[in-house]
Amino acid sequence: MINPKTVVVISRDQVLISLISKFLKGLCQIVEFATLRASLDYMYSSSPDILLIDITYDDPAVVSLLNDLKSDPVLGNLSVFAVLGDAFVVPGWDYLLVDDYLKRSALETEIRSRIELSLQRAERAIEVNPLTGLPGNIQIIKQIQKRLNTGDKFAFAYADLDFFKPYNDRYGFSRGDEVLKMLGRLILNTVKERQPHGSFVGHIGGDDIVFIMDCDAAEEASGKIIGYFDSIIPTFYDIEERTKGFIEATDREGQKKVFPLISISIGIVSNARKRFAHYGEMAEVASEMKKFAKTVKGSCFRVDKRSRPLSDGMDVRINRA
Amino acid sequence: MDTREMRIQIENIDTLPTIPSILRKLLAVIDKPKISINEIGSFIANDPVLTSRVLKVINSPMYGFPGRISSLNQALILLGLNVVRGMLLGVSVFEAMQKTMVGLWEHSLGCAIASRIIATKKGMKEPEEVSIAGLLHDIGKVVMGLKFPEEYSLAISDAQNGQTFMLDAEKKQFNISHADAGGWIAHKWNFPQNLVEPIEYHHKPHLSKVVPLQTAIVHVADLLTRAAGFGFAGDNFVPAVHPFAWELLNLSEGDLKEIVSELEDSFGQAGDFMLSDD
Repeated sequence: MINPKTVVVISRDQVLISLISKFLKGLCQIVEFATLRASLDYMYSSSPDILLIDITYDDPAVVSLLNDLKSDPVLGNLSVFAVLGDAFVVPGWDYLLVDDYLKRSALETEIRSRIELSLQRAERAIEVNPLTGLPGNIQIIKQIQKRLNTGDKFAFAYADLDFFKPYNDRYGFSRGDEVLKMLGRLILNTVKERQPHGSFVGHIGGDDIVFIMDCDAAEEASGKIIGYFDSIIPTFYDIEERTKGFIEATDREGQKKVFPLISISIGIVSNARKRFAHYGEMAEVASEMKKFAKTVKGSCFRVDKRSRPLSDGMDVRINRA
Repeated sequence: MDTREMRIQIENIDTLPTIPSILRKLLAVIDKPKISINEIGSFIANDPVLTSRVLKVINSPMYGFPGRISSLNQALILLGLNVVRGMLLGVSVFEAMQKTMVGLWEHSLGCAIASRIIATKKGMKEPEEVSIAGLLHDIGKVVMGLKFPEEYSLAISDAQNGQTFMLDAEKKQFNISHADAGGWIAHKWNFPQNLVEPIEYHHKPHLSKVVPLQTAIVHVADLLTRAAGFGFAGDNFVPAVHPFAWELLNLSEGDLKEIVSELEDSFGQAGDFMLSDD
């Protein structure tokens, strides 16, 4: 195993520890401590995958310490298993904050598969943006790096909104969130409709959303996203401003100013023309193209076609002047 | 039953059934392996129940922007093909009152087309959204027919035998009209105001506050569809045009003739396809 998973086992019972070690042999690396207190230093510095704690009898001090540990966000990914004595009845699962439990008598038959399943579950769980439900930065980097490593040709598109801030200032954050939820949904569906397999949509944060597609598909999907977005966005304004086609809001200097309706800018980069070794390089060029798209009034996308300098050889496709 | 109890019962309705001819065609549509959102959309746009189902889902709090989407195409884009397909799989059909409902479907479709024609004539930016309002304007009749089939059948025969307006027969039977029932369900399903008001006020267009023009269009479209003889709205009369709507729309006699003739042309194609049994 390249990256052995670590299971911390806490028990004063040497027999129990050696049994557990035997049952889990080859599945993971085991670190043992006699008490939870003694393990804390290790827990907070080494971030193990699973904590297996022996709670044969109810011990309020241990339970309270365990609950503190479990509610610390730093250890959010830690999965806690209680090994309960057969006579111990838990008064309620809000009393004991664990993810799973095993009865002592069932250890031999259950423990290996339960721990294995828990480790796999953690692998599958990915961080998602709470607003859009789309995967976040860690997944985005993984998805790009994976393709760069295998040498697959793909396009990486970086989308964000223009004049989103005045909208937030005018209508408040919860209305702004509505727009972001719509944006995430719109991009996801458009990307998946054009390319159901091998595509990916992720949410960097705020109004920044990225997607990965086959090279030819990305431009087509971007055109559609722009068209759909421009047709939908007016309904997120109050009727009066929708009809006027602009809003008035206060700018950073405290001046009243007129702002157009939100538009969308997309920058697209691909490794078909250029070699990228690393995620960061690709993200930088995509972000550059997005900034270039933002200089154009209204919604549009721009594709990096450079093997030449930036000012030359650009795809000039203006969706709305 | 008192009005409050009736409102609770109506608001508890989760899904509405459609008519058999639509369901048969629907299953064929869903089974197509490579169907596009546009294709599904043009099918759904002919059925008040399927359309209301799509709008209900996309305006539910789960998607995070309740009360925003009144366009069917936008709803479909935001839901995505898989969700739409899944949603359509669960559609059922009316067990009672089928004949009445087929007539109502024709009337609704006619009103949708007439609304679109008038909206285009008046230079409105989004004629499709007005057309949806026209399609859904009588959704309250579907709701009442589903929830209280016996009483609603009585109201219909009352209107037929007593030679009265459906609206009055409903009030006599239920104390409320289909416009009230439709308004309740439209509110409950978080429909945007530009759909709620035409549904709630298509018989009283002067009460519409946010979208008086759309409401007036649906009001006139409703009457023109009846006058042109498309479908069955529950009675055999054409009520008088409300002066508020009449003045607001300011249509000439020539306009009306053009609208009706365009309605006849368009209805022929759409109606045959949707309502025929094969």
